Amino acid sequence: MTKEETLTSFLIETQTRSYRLAYSVLRNREEALDAVQTAVCRALEHQNSLRDPGAVKTWFTRILMNACQDTLRQRGRVVPFPEEGPELGQEDPEPADDTLARRVNALPAEVGTVIKLRFYEEMTLKEIGEVTGQNISTVKSRLYAGLRKLRVAMEGVEI
Amino acid sequence: MNEFKNAKEAYDNTPIPAELSERVRAGVREGKARYRARRGRTLRRWGATAACFAVLLAGLNLSPTIAKAAAEVPVLGGLFQVLTFVDYDKTEDGIHYDVTVPQLEAEGDLAGKVNAVIQEKVDAHLAKAQQDWDDYREAFFATGGTEEEWADREMDVIVDYEIKSQSESRVSFVVTFAEGWVSSMEERYYYNLDLSEDRDLTLRDCLGENWVETCNAAIERQIAESVDEEGFTFFFAPEEGGFTTVDETTGFYVREDGTVVVCFPEYSIAAGAAGIPEFPIN
Repeated sequence: MTKEETLTSFLIETQTRSYRLAYSVLRNREEALDAVQTAVCRALEHQNSLRDPGAVKTWFTRILMNACQDTLRQRGRVVPFPEEGPELGQEDPEPADDTLARRVNALPAEVGTVIKLRFYEEMTLKEIGEVTGQNISTVKSRLYAGLRKLRVAMEGVEI
Repeated sequence: MNEFKNAKEAYDNTPIPAELSERVRAGVREGKARYRARRGRTLRRWGATAACFAVLLAGLNLSPTIAKAAAEVPVLGGLFQVLTFVDYDKTEDGIHYDVTVPQLEAEGDLAGKVNAVIQEKVDAHLAKAQQDWDDYREAFFATGGTEEEWADREMDVIVDYEIKSQSESRVSFVVTFAEGWVSSMEERYYYNLDLSEDRDLTLRDCLGENWVETCNAAIERQIAESVDEEGFTFFFAPEEGGFTTVDETTGFYVREDGTVVVCFPEYSIAAGAAGIPEFPIN
């Protein structure tokens, strides 16, 4: 298989994963479909920028997350990934009977994304850093901030 | 961590829209096309028979730095030549232009008319692309985008042509217009000309009096053949806006072997994933 064929099969095989991730960020069916289509198109268009075929998952996830960011920005809900210094410590009051999934969705985007990538997509901190363009310590502090907000006990949490 | 397990389960059970795979395939198609367009135009598809003449003209908002080496290759002895009138590949102000415009040179009025029509379409396409891009930029900054983030954004504007076949007096070629950034769209125009008679060739000229029946039968057969074992096809049913009949406005080109190929615009009779449906009429 050529590099392009390998990439194409990867994009097709992982399409439901891509959609889930896009949907979890955008919470809108049409926008999530658009984001996936755009990301797939960009990936093939810029296939030469994939230097290490072993890193295709993080490489593509980054393209997908950027496509989602573009959508959020066009919507007017600006949620950039700040370089450093997430706002910590503020506990959002959530109804006690609300499910964790809903509380994750209510997190600020930059924290929520880290949580989703870690626990839903089961990516390592290093991979999350590559996907979001943050360094590991930022990823870590966002993860802790997210867990604190979610009031999930940190014992036994593998990070 | 049971809580996360449930949350992940809910996440894993996100409903997947039925059109996802179609949209992914559309992305694949578009991405591959753009990759090819990006790789440059060293691989000219119509081979050595085409006369190529690249010349830089003012009037299309061109900068002189993108002028390509001009070289005239007079190989055609027929009644006409198809030349590359404008050929440039440049990025300006975030727009990546990849524009190759054909020009027909021949005796008679037809060539001039065809050239004028193509030029008008090129101008309209470039103007629309600029407008779309300006609108996008305005929305981008209005919603808090920064100059830095804007810097790596790029839109593609593509104009290209392909000679499908040519003989002493006849030529069949296709001009493609595409614009791509967040979404993308491709439009094609078909030109089939008889230069000895100085007129457009029609489906009737190529297929005879029964051209409508001939085309419709061939197209309906091919649509029927496209249905897979699960009953799925990209083509819409006639009552859903799908194919009903060809008419004088239906686009087509002629292959080297003389086969007429009828084409429909993207999204017109089939889902976008089918691309631009083409039907050889045998």
